[in-house]
Amino acid sequence: MKPGRLVKRLKPLLRILILLALWEFLGDLHLIAQGALPSPSAIVMQWWQDRAVYPPHIWATLEPALIGFVIGDAIAAAAAFAFVLLPTFEGLMRGFNIAVFGIPPIALAPVLVITLPGDWPQIVLAAVSVYFPTMVMTLLGLRDIDPRPIDVICSYGGGEVAVLRWLRLRSCLPGFLSGLRVAAPAAILGAILAEFGSGARWGLGSFLLGSLGRGNPARIWGIGLSATLMAAFAYGLCALLGRRFSASMTAVTIASGTIETKTAKRGAARLLQVSLAIAALGMPFLIWWAILKGFGVSPVIAKTPLGVWNYLINAPDAAESRGAILQALKESLPLAGVGLIIALSVALVLAVMGMIWRNLTALLMPAALILQTMPLVALTPMIVLLFGRGIAATLVVTVIVTFFPAFITIAQGLATVPRASLDLLDVYGASRLQKLRMVSLPMSLPYLCAAARLVAPASLLGVMIAEWLATGYGLGNLLNTARGELDYGMIWAVAFVAVAVSVGFYQLVKVIEEGVLRRFGSASATS
Amino acid sequence: MDGSPPKLLTDDIDLNGITRTFAVAAKQVYALNDVSLHCEAGSFTALIGPSGCGKSTLLRIIAGLERPDAGTALIGGQTPAQKCRTGALGVAFQDSALLPWRTVRQNIALPLQILKRFTPQGHDKIDRLIELVGLEGFENARPAQLSGGMRQRVAIARTLVTDPSVLLMDEPFGALDQILRRSMNIELQRIWMEKRATTLLVTHGIDEALFLADRVVVMHRDPGRIAQIVAIPFARPRLPELFSSPQFHQLEDEIAAHFYGAATA
Repeated sequence: MKPGRLVKRLKPLLRILILLALWEFLGDLHLIAQGALPSPSAIVMQWWQDRAVYPPHIWATLEPALIGFVIGDAIAAAAAFAFVLLPTFEGLMRGFNIAVFGIPPIALAPVLVITLPGDWPQIVLAAVSVYFPTMVMTLLGLRDIDPRPIDVICSYGGGEVAVLRWLRLRSCLPGFLSGLRVAAPAAILGAILAEFGSGARWGLGSFLLGSLGRGNPARIWGIGLSATLMAAFAYGLCALLGRRFSASMTAVTIASGTIETKTAKRGAARLLQVSLAIAALGMPFLIWWAILKGFGVSPVIAKTPLGVWNYLINAPDAAESRGAILQALKESLPLAGVGLIIALSVALVLAVMGMIWRNLTALLMPAALILQTMPLVALTPMIVLLFGRGIAATLVVTVIVTFFPAFITIAQGLATVPRASLDLLDVYGASRLQKLRMVSLPMSLPYLCAAARLVAPASLLGVMIAEWLATGYGLGNLLNTARGELDYGMIWAVAFVAVAVSVGFYQLVKVIEEGVLRRFGSASATS
Repeated sequence: MDGSPPKLLTDDIDLNGITRTFAVAAKQVYALNDVSLHCEAGSFTALIGPSGCGKSTLLRIIAGLERPDAGTALIGGQTPAQKCRTGALGVAFQDSALLPWRTVRQNIALPLQILKRFTPQGHDKIDRLIELVGLEGFENARPAQLSGGMRQRVAIARTLVTDPSVLLMDEPFGALDQILRRSMNIELQRIWMEKRATTLLVTHGIDEALFLADRVVVMHRDPGRIAQIVAIPFARPRLPELFSSPQFHQLEDEIAAHFYGAATA
């Protein structure tokens, strides 16, 4: 090995060592937030002291996370294929998809804990957490295919099934795998969140909740870092698989784009469209009702859609409940909106900077990963110490929760730009910035929009986590209080309102996205 | 080569009153207006004309990839949709349209897999085709590792793998340099004389059309229509020397007159 290469290899290691040294210095001298940031050595020492209890805690979280991950991804992949083959089915399940996506895991956790036995709350929450990212990324991969080989397949009489089998199946792999990449940490997070309020003895979430009040930051950080390592390992495994398969994926030449013209539907077709939309709206409620009936859960604990309606409209103290929820919404919603905008801007800027300075991505990825899993629960107390129990703390938590999936999606869009179009700009000596502005950014616009949609509901999750654990305002606090008081009606009502608000948020972003893409498409067609 | 030559199954192509319109910015544009053409079984026809004369659209209609607004296209008396399910069509596109994750061998096998006709004997056949297009040693290369000319040869081998009775080629050598194009022309003639499939070649090159075809169909645009059909009398096999013979140049000028007549009209 040449000495130059050795230096190059050691450089990142050196960087990490410098960061660690700085951290050690800050931690040992209690410089940050009166010792809420312990030094690495203190964390490691505490971790070593606790070494006997870690394996059962980790296993209690990992096992259900893994089962949920497998179940959720299998359902997600099957659903994506069904949606490609049967667009009507996708239309019908639209409402369900968005509702599953919009569920803030923290709102669902208490509902699952009171209705399901054993490990099932964790498994289900992990599965629910992975379903949407995997489904969406797989669907994107299945749909976003090179149109030229379709002609080849059609000229041998191949239909939709043949295109699916020979083209889409392989084309969707990078999308599917990057979906798994986002889903893997989400599964672990889902399993941890389901331990909140479950009273379970084992599991990292239970361990963390039990340690929160003990004034031992080193242990809290140790638990957080363990969760992070688990997520990082899961992420790395999926990323490795992804690299193996996307190397041979980029088309050698570029396909000319086609602009699909949407024809306005009239008469019977229009009627069908409207009735489909209504059916799609009713579907989540039907499934909600069917699951509760199917499992035969007591109606006192498990509220059906009708039960929630009664609680909010017909019950004697309905007006009081509505007032409490409205007040909580007023506190939570503005923060979620602002957090979303900040997170998207940060993700875009960092993804773009990562394109221009490659080293930055290498430096950022581990940091982004650490931010993704660990802080949610472990960093919240720390953030509160740093930023107070107010708006700033909530915003920081929200940005941290939403940033990571947005960053991954945008970076993937920037990476899938065909080689030929970048080569074209190289011919004219274009700078990296020009290539970015003229090719990479416009071509990855669909990914950017997908990122916005993907993280819109997550911003509400961030707000609710901060409220539950720290600030004592808003929806998160209302849910936590209701859980403490065993107010089953309120638990279900808040969960329902949180999902409804998330779905509304999602739809709003979708409308904006459609406008942006249409304008972009028509602009490129007329110029 | 084994003792039994591939069965010489050929079909004629019959186009009758083909009309195809597109809506461009709220205006109806006639890509093809009442085009009729008959290609004898086993013949080689070249279609040339300026951009936008509808020659590629005509080829896509015969391949069953697009439907005409009026008129019929029949291959051996059957519709393109019926015919393509038998593997009777081999289509080569402007772009090689190879799947980036498949090797050369796997790309050539694709049509057989789509038609559910892939058998162990298929491997021998694919090896023979790789030999035919001169890609020995690249069997397991992926498209990204090949040059443009090599990718196009893979695409040609792919069109031949089903023993098609009709070959449709849409500027298959359009992206290649002149020297490579010449040698591909000579190879295509050799392949065609061996297979004798009814062939329709869309091209921009008059010399390419003259060298390969029995007759050259010159098309004009606005609306897309057939302007002239010129029979090419040269005997086969045609040798590279033909490109520089006086008769060749004379015919080239004649076709160019029809061609440019269209461009200036």
